[in-house]
Amino acid sequence: MTQTFLSIQNVSKTFGSVQAVDRVSLDIHKNEFFALLGASGSGKTTLLRMLAGFEDLTAGDITLEGISIAGLSPNQRPLNLMFQSYALFPHMSVAQNIAYGLEMDRLPKAEVRERVNEILEVIQLGHLAKRKPDQLSGGQRQRVALARALVKRPKVLLLDEPLGALDKKLRSEMQLELKRLQHEFGITFIVVTHDQEEALVMADRIAIMKDGTLLQVGTPHEIYEAPQSKFAADFIGVMNFLPVHKNGTGFVGVDGSRIRSESATEIHETGAAIAAIRPERLHVTGTGDNQLSGEIVALAYHGLDLLLHIKTALSDNPVISRMTADEADGHAPEVGQNITVHWSAKDTHIFPN
Amino acid sequence: MADRNTFRLMLLILGVIFAFLYIPISVLVGLSFNEGGLPTAWTGFSFKWYGALLENDDILKAAGNTLIVAIFSTLLSTALGSLLAIGVEIRRRNGKWLETLIFAPMIIPDIVLAIALLSFFSLIGVKMGLHTIIVSHVVFNLAFVCAVVRARLKNFDWSIVEASTDLGASTFTTLKRVIIPVLMPAIIAGALLAFTLSVDEFIIAFFTAGAGRASITLPMQIFSMIRFGVTPEINALATLVMAVSVIALALSQRLNKGGLPGQ
Repeated sequence: MTQTFLSIQNVSKTFGSVQAVDRVSLDIHKNEFFALLGASGSGKTTLLRMLAGFEDLTAGDITLEGISIAGLSPNQRPLNLMFQSYALFPHMSVAQNIAYGLEMDRLPKAEVRERVNEILEVIQLGHLAKRKPDQLSGGQRQRVALARALVKRPKVLLLDEPLGALDKKLRSEMQLELKRLQHEFGITFIVVTHDQEEALVMADRIAIMKDGTLLQVGTPHEIYEAPQSKFAADFIGVMNFLPVHKNGTGFVGVDGSRIRSESATEIHETGAAIAAIRPERLHVTGTGDNQLSGEIVALAYHGLDLLLHIKTALSDNPVISRMTADEADGHAPEVGQNITVHWSAKDTHIFPN
Repeated sequence: MADRNTFRLMLLILGVIFAFLYIPISVLVGLSFNEGGLPTAWTGFSFKWYGALLENDDILKAAGNTLIVAIFSTLLSTALGSLLAIGVEIRRRNGKWLETLIFAPMIIPDIVLAIALLSFFSLIGVKMGLHTIIVSHVVFNLAFVCAVVRARLKNFDWSIVEASTDLGASTFTTLKRVIIPVLMPAIIAGALLAFTLSVDEFIIAFFTAGAGRASITLPMQIFSMIRFGVTPEINALATLVMAVSVIALALSQRLNKGGLPGQ
């Protein structure tokens, strides 16, 4: 049995009358890339700041390798934070910024220089070592902030929206770069993000937060394919929702048609529920346990796929079906056309409404 | 065409205002170079009145006193005012009363402050001299330095303070290596402002200098000389004082606007 690495135990935080974090318990493994995912106000940043030591815990405890760190001030914790604003020291050069944390550890000058050069190499900014932060691009600043936190070789690196300020193309490059660095340094990364795609691409495990509580913790695959709540289903990726109600042992849609599901979610009351299906599980060809028909009201072309918006009797919003480029080549659907899509019972999630 | 006429009228008003502000000063500066020394006739350009200043022991002594007062009150008020500004801005939520207390010395009329300080020094039985002038100048300079540094702190990125702590620095190290260096342009600007204010301050120095001529400052010296009429020497002296003030103030404004190259 391996020892728990970083353990968040029943942690709560209240600001005045606001419950920012509400009894969160979470174990994070060594060398894990962990993502705290949530909308703004979900408490994810507060939780991260409690890990870094910038917020006191109202209740609960945080332990690292079995020892409580909750009472330590930020400069005593073997964790480093990469700030959302990067928080680079404007009066210091890139090299001085990176060296700062090592100087605080009172390392010999030669070692500081060596480690700064080493990490400058890793982030490929050796040629800009003497520049000041305001002479760098956003992407370069981001890498300096990362290097400054990483060079101390903390046990855990906390990253607050690390890619939030970058443009889309740079962001997807940096997602892989962060993963590579995490692997190379063998350091546990905890990243706070509101971007579900970012979390899916980078993280080994994801925790979805809402209103200060943990909704679901799991691998990206589990979170995407087996969401445990309507919120999680809606928050991650695109999801079609169809209002249904329980009828005997099964579910029927608003038009009375049967909707088959293998969902394990127990709906006790006979009242309303909601069925959820991913767009890529709705197929225009073949057969399935379920089907629906309607008129195509819009087409959204994304290059590698084509999204069909289909107006049906089953819900107010159009149902979205995703066709791959290959499928679309054969069919070439048009707006105004009537279409029937099929899906499998195992792809129908049911949530209480 | 109405617009054009309005613009011309505005230019005219601007000209009149500038004339009103700067003609007296220009006259003073001009006369300080007037060979003959009489305000009624220009007899030729000369530095002779500046030379005369250098031979006047009373003026040199007063200039020395002014320099001592200005330097020490600037150093003290800059150190205290900057720390006060940082302290107040870190704990921003502490409301209006603190604000008012800090700004009061800027708003209270000099004469009131002068009488108050005189009474205070008499009450506690301090022998008055240059040191009491220095302390008195610190009182109002503190508020000015604090105001300048606080203005800079309004758009200060406090996350760099957290970053410093996160990287292992103590509070004192963070102050020394992050907060003060980043604020340095504003601190120097505040110091230059304090120096300028101290150099030409008259009323408070006059009240807190004590008896005798030992701790007379330059403005007090000018005041005592002027009782016998405006001499060309006074013009020269005033021109020099003004030059020092203008240079210090210009530097101060420049520094406070430009900021560090790293910002």
